[in-house]
Amino acid sequence: MTAAIETHKLTKWYGHHSRGILDVDLVVEAGQIFGFLGPNGAGKSTTIRLLLDLIRPTSGSARVLGLDIHRDRLAIDRRVSYIPGELSLYSDLTGRQLLTYLGNLQGSVDAAYREALIERLELDPSKKIKSLSRGNKQKVGLVSAFMIRPDLMMMDEPTAGLDPFIQLEFEHLCEEARGEGRTVFISSHQLPEVEHLCDRVGIIREGRLLAVESIATLKERALRKLEIDFGGKVEAAAFSGLPGVRDLTVRDGVLSCTVMGSLDALVKAAAKFEVLNLRSIETSLEEIFLAYYGAGDATDAPASPLAREESSHAAA
Amino acid sequence: MLLRNVFTKQIRDLRWPTFWVSLGMGGMTGYFALLFPTYAKIVDLNSILDKMGPAAKLMGASLGDASTLVGFLHIELFSMILPALMVVLAAGIASGFTAGEESRGTIDVLLSYPISRRRLILEKTAAVVIACVVSAAAVWVFALAGAAASSSALPWDKLAEALVMLVLLGLAFGSIALTISAAFGNRGAAIGVAVGTMVVMYLVDALAQIVDGLGMLRPLSLFRYYMGNDPLRNGMSVADAAVLAAVAVAFLFAALIAFDRRDLAA
Repeated sequence: MTAAIETHKLTKWYGHHSRGILDVDLVVEAGQIFGFLGPNGAGKSTTIRLLLDLIRPTSGSARVLGLDIHRDRLAIDRRVSYIPGELSLYSDLTGRQLLTYLGNLQGSVDAAYREALIERLELDPSKKIKSLSRGNKQKVGLVSAFMIRPDLMMMDEPTAGLDPFIQLEFEHLCEEARGEGRTVFISSHQLPEVEHLCDRVGIIREGRLLAVESIATLKERALRKLEIDFGGKVEAAAFSGLPGVRDLTVRDGVLSCTVMGSLDALVKAAAKFEVLNLRSIETSLEEIFLAYYGAGDATDAPASPLAREESSHAAA
Repeated sequence: MLLRNVFTKQIRDLRWPTFWVSLGMGGMTGYFALLFPTYAKIVDLNSILDKMGPAAKLMGASLGDASTLVGFLHIELFSMILPALMVVLAAGIASGFTAGEESRGTIDVLLSYPISRRRLILEKTAAVVIACVVSAAAVWVFALAGAAASSSALPWDKLAEALVMLVLLGLAFGSIALTISAAFGNRGAAIGVAVGTMVVMYLVDALAQIVDGLGMLRPLSLFRYYMGNDPLRNGMSVADAAVLAAVAVAFLFAALIAFDRRDLAA
């Protein structure tokens, strides 16, 4: 089966200290919901715009739906939809006029499906684009992306500005598309937004693809900061050597530590004492990146917990 | 339906600007044609032009005989005001084709649909040709109506030929603006260069007719091809028209190549 997206050493070089991507080898299998994760400025939009032939690679190559991104652009565009991160639409048109125009440019649109989408996303298509809020504009973009029933949808930060209910509807739409064998490629800088939706995620930072993992693997490695308030006096020694626990300190009856993966061992150890409160702080995606994939450039990033763990193992 | 494709959408976007420019250019010309006999009775324009001497030529009075409507329109409108308006119309629109879509951020969405970059420019160019032709046609209608109402002689065929030259001049400068916009994505620069070039070329053509020794510069100015044959009086020169058309096509071609090769602004 042809991969939906396949890049080979894809590089866009804008000079030092500038957004670009370097030697990205990415494979997105067809029929998946793929999350493309990274902090702002990591190169997510650059990658997507390269795949759409809006900008041209410095070196490397890429195929979308098995087709060459430059030579076969029109064939790709017939089968791909795209919502840019900074969605700009013709502001003097109403939502319906814009959808009509975009549908005409595409050639064929399932009108009944378009109307169903408008309904499900609660879009008022009679309003001019310029009068719409960011979230409502995004709905127009979503309808346009889904209504052509593309084989691949590329969406750059598609959930920005959507209220929770619409976000849920969006997730259903993505799952339906996947059910029909379509591929959904979503970029985001927030793991929690996409983690329950995606099958796999690719993590990009400073223009380099650090890893591609299944969500299941990533969750196993989820990193939490944990604080436990105890009723009585507690010794740090009681928690030493627990799997996945590190950076453990106890001060004034408050334990704080970082836990990788399951909390089970720590919670069971804590249960021997009187627990007043337990606070779990989900770490940011950035921290997980740093923890698991290290720094792309050793000079500008702090040493990661993983690196520390590795060094302590090495010392032992 | 005006939302069928890029061409019709561009027509839709241009309908009001084209309407107002047509009304302005047409109305002004019609007004001059209508009032010419009255005006000619009060003022002896030729004697004024004589007193101005060479300065009059800078204002386009190079072939001046202001005692007829044809000469009057030539001096008052066709030598400076109408070409300026036509160039600003064409360059203003053409500069927005790609740079406008880029600065508004709509180009990303547009080009994610199955439209080649070349087709995008060609369809939009077709729309600007229509906008220029429509405004020239408005001038034709209003001018003939004004002339008929004031019983002044104004040959409809020569007027049409002069307007063809006007459209070609506009398209040549519009094409220059298009190329800069397509190559650099900067709308302001595109309009600035096109209009600036027009002003320089206008002055070159005018000065070359006054100052001895500058005559050899005339062929460098597009105004020489636009006005050289005095189309309002003598009809158009096919060779001059071909030069303007060739300039327009050459720059269009350059725009297609430049836009096709370039990274688009995010």
